[in-house]
Amino acid sequence: MTAASTPRPGKVAARRVGARQEALAGYALVAVPMLLFLVLNIGSILYAAFISVWRWNIRTGPQQFLGLDNYVKALNDPIFQSAVTNTVYYTVIWVPLTMALGLFLAVIVNQKIRGKTFFRGAFYFPSIASSAAISTIWIFILNPFGLFNEVRGALGLNPLFSLLGYDANQDWLGDYHTAMNGVIILNAWTTSGTFMIFYLASLQAIPHEVYEAAAIDGAGAWDTFRRVTFPLLRPGHFFVATVGIIGGLQLFDQAVQIGNVDGAPANSLMTLVLYLYNAAFKRVQYGYAAAIGVVLFVIIFSATLIQRRIFEGREPTTA
Amino acid sequence: MHNSPQMPAQRDETAAPETTGSSMSSRAVVAAGGGDAGLAAALPATRVQPSVTVVGDTSHVWRRRLAYFFLIGYALLMFVPFAWTVITSFKTLEDSVRLTLIPQPVTTAAWDYALFQLHPNVAQMFFNSFIVAIAVTLTNVVLGSFAGYAFARLRFPGRNLLFLLVLATLMIPDQLRMLPIYIITNALGLGKGPLQLASIVLVLAISATSVFLLRQYFLTIPKDLEEAARIDGAGHFTTFLRVMLPLASPAIAAVTILQFQGTWNGFFWPFVLIRDQNLWTLPLGLTEFRLVGGFGTNWPPLMATVVLATVPILILYLFFQRYFVEGIAASGVKG
Repeated sequence: MTAASTPRPGKVAARRVGARQEALAGYALVAVPMLLFLVLNIGSILYAAFISVWRWNIRTGPQQFLGLDNYVKALNDPIFQSAVTNTVYYTVIWVPLTMALGLFLAVIVNQKIRGKTFFRGAFYFPSIASSAAISTIWIFILNPFGLFNEVRGALGLNPLFSLLGYDANQDWLGDYHTAMNGVIILNAWTTSGTFMIFYLASLQAIPHEVYEAAAIDGAGAWDTFRRVTFPLLRPGHFFVATVGIIGGLQLFDQAVQIGNVDGAPANSLMTLVLYLYNAAFKRVQYGYAAAIGVVLFVIIFSATLIQRRIFEGREPTTA
Repeated sequence: MHNSPQMPAQRDETAAPETTGSSMSSRAVVAAGGGDAGLAAALPATRVQPSVTVVGDTSHVWRRRLAYFFLIGYALLMFVPFAWTVITSFKTLEDSVRLTLIPQPVTTAAWDYALFQLHPNVAQMFFNSFIVAIAVTLTNVVLGSFAGYAFARLRFPGRNLLFLLVLATLMIPDQLRMLPIYIITNALGLGKGPLQLASIVLVLAISATSVFLLRQYFLTIPKDLEEAARIDGAGHFTTFLRVMLPLASPAIAAVTILQFQGTWNGFFWPFVLIRDQNLWTLPLGLTEFRLVGGFGTNWPPLMATVVLATVPILILYLFFQRYFVEGIAASGVKG
């Protein structure tokens, strides 16, 4: 090691050759991955942006230049509007709900308790099962004659539910009014474990001395959480919220698995991505579909920026 | 070392905040630990620790009970749907909508149906899922460690810009790529026959998460090992293959688990890119059977299929839980 780093006369040329070899090795190793990234990722969005300003023939490609017409068309399309409304509604409810659950679980699991690993493992498991499996299970449980309705009947909760306007065999995922809320609860159930893992990582990043100081000041458990832990988790909140919002705005799997490509019942599960899918593959309007994709990208991108502004530009520790 | 005498003091403080006496004494311990952090100060403090923990146990019983109450409650909430799925798979259709814990009668008819009577059959879907998941995992490990190593250890012009581009792809939603990828893979002739599976592999061949995870790991490996190999006359590729790659096995394991699980469960790309029934992966088949395959409410075989699709992941999870958690916590972004 010392021999290599000792400067020797006449070695400069050799070192230059070494640097060139190193650079060549570097390019050789990144060539294939970078080609894939550039074509399939960066190339894809540029291509989508290009398609979005054309009337596009599926065989021959660009047919007629439309400028921003596809975008204008989207903004005036009632189904697009309801897709935006549904997607935003889902995100606005689902993200805070799942964050609260995840934080709650993380704080409990982070304590000195027996079976910590077991509980952490159990809470995380739904996150790693496939969305198709989870959706199928919940469609079964929430069907009019499913476990949920049976159990609330057996527990004598039906009078309460009928006060809220639901009869004994309410079809939770098949009814226009409740389908989206069903998906929200389903996905909160699935994802709370993931958010717990994120929060655990940021909880463990809080230095011990902080709690010691709080304890010396005589702060109780709740005060410590409210005034010390919660504010110090800010990078964690930012990270989890960003991941959540990006994921929420892309809701697709569960919407299709439950309501098929039409976003049934009555467009209540029509999300932005699902509408993009419909425009592309059902109505075969590529230009229009691409425009919807670009709008989605802009929405996600600005949501992330706003998020960053709210959390005062503090960098997430986990990424 | 400076911290160790303070730790028990802190525990003592949180253990009994109600009594001012103990808080006074703990403050004294902190002062002693902070002022004179000799070995003598550390020793009595560590000896105090066990008894203090016992005090903590008794005064916080209610909080613990509450914690266990929520933990067990939530664990049940996680467990019951899966248990109900397994139970239902052994029921008859009439029995499947009844609230019976033990199937009456217990039957394997649903399993028979799910295993032998589906079109395409489950074995075919298993095979499709498996091929795609293995291929995607392999490409991610190979290409990810190539790029990860280069970005971590080799100097070449444009390195930072290229790495920034890789990270930027994390901002691109898969769904936005749906249409362009569909057009591109068709143009490449990947839209027909078994090549549809290849198109999925192509799209998922490398993820920024894999590159990122491996790069971060390579950065932590001490440079001495590499330099020693270099002095022995090894070239960059030999050093990478013989020295660095074996050292990166924990990161490779995390990428393997993350990619296999993600691809095995993947719904979006198969849904967009696969048109032939006999190429369906398990999640796609599960969804299509219910939506268009005519067994929309034939719950028992549907639940048996859910079990079949979930068990491989459950087994992986039981053995490699650590890597699942590490992968997701380190990346935070689904690959």
